[in-house]
Amino acid sequence: MIDLLTSLPFIFLLSLLIALILYMIGGKVGARGEETADKVAPYACGEDLPPRKLQIDVERFLVYAVYFLIFDILAFVLATSLNTPGIFPVLYSLIVLMAVVILLPLWRRG
Amino acid sequence: MALLEILLFPGFLFLIILALFYEWVDRKYFAKLQNRYGPLYTGPSGLLQPIADFLKLLSKEDIIPKAADKFMFSSAPVFLLSLPLLALFLIPIADQTALVSFEGDLIFLMFIFTLIAVTVFIAGWSSVSRFSTIGGVRAGFQMLGYEIPMCLVMVGPAIAAKTLSISKIAAWQAGNTAWFVWLQPLGFAIFLLCLLAELEWVPFDIPEAETEIVAGWMTEFGGPKLALIRLGKNLELLLAASLITSLFLGGPNSLWIIPPVVFFLIKTSIAVMLLTTLRALFARFRIDQMISGAWKYLLPLAVLQMILVQFGLG
Repeated sequence: MIDLLTSLPFIFLLSLLIALILYMIGGKVGARGEETADKVAPYACGEDLPPRKLQIDVERFLVYAVYFLIFDILAFVLATSLNTPGIFPVLYSLIVLMAVVILLPLWRRG
Repeated sequence: MALLEILLFPGFLFLIILALFYEWVDRKYFAKLQNRYGPLYTGPSGLLQPIADFLKLLSKEDIIPKAADKFMFSSAPVFLLSLPLLALFLIPIADQTALVSFEGDLIFLMFIFTLIAVTVFIAGWSSVSRFSTIGGVRAGFQMLGYEIPMCLVMVGPAIAAKTLSISKIAAWQAGNTAWFVWLQPLGFAIFLLCLLAELEWVPFDIPEAETEIVAGWMTEFGGPKLALIRLGKNLELLLAASLITSLFLGGPNSLWIIPPVVFFLIKTSIAVMLLTTLRALFARFRIDQMISGAWKYLLPLAVLQMILVQFGLG
């Protein structure tokens, strides 16, 4: 019983429930007005901006995304190699370093 | 008994009240640093202002823009509140061990930090407005910058204490009377900077830069949704402060007859004021400056700290 109460899924459900209850209370006590066309239009600083999805240029940051992938794995490998000290973490890091060096031309182009 | 603990004392009620209190600490101290008064009228020296703000927003009309993706737009604030709330249960507050503690909860915490950033992106993207979209994409890009140094630096204390559990790391520091601020000062500095980026606070408030893109990814949110988001951000501040406390400042150890929660409150207040001071000191970076700066300076320094830890220094 105690284990169930302090288990992670239960706490997650409970915190989700609390957020939902707060949201429900807000909906209950909240003011309700008429829905006009201007009210449900996106905020636009007085300009006439149509609500469309924007195409964002990610090319400039693509190289960072690639490096992010590599280093994310490094971080988790280092985190989970707690009990194998000494040569193994260094070995993992060297492998990651190799991947970085191989990808260096990408950096220069990007 | 356990249910009471979860719902009341180190649990939900305590956490939410404490989060609102630290918003007041942050606002008041930030105002002091800028020669302003800060919150003043609601309660003694404005102490109840965050609650008043929360209640006011909660009772406003709930508007969903016509173009927005309704389900994602409505569910993002709920997750932005419940994720930091869940993460706070992994942190020791009133005792040496947290309410929910298992081997590897540090990794789970990193996962929650990433998930919050992704939820922010979804919140911006689903509200189909130019300002929101740009803010959300910026939040996603910013995550590429600070995530890796933060993970590496959080693992530093874990390797030195030979455990991946936050409670055990705090207990290790209390047992050896050696805090990781002194053992790994470089890691502590990097961790502070990354937390500023995670909180979207001033040097890294790029996703919600109000002088450029209105309110960034929060532009379309109002009423109860904004109330949930604001409360979630306060809880994130509490999470950041308590994470600094338990990873680097020794956690809540009890001394004589003073209960551990007193030490927890003192240390988290210090952490909040440290973060606020940094917020008052800096000016905003551009997004490309932030990402390239993080990869050029923060990451090599974090790796250096990691190497020092591996060789047993710190």
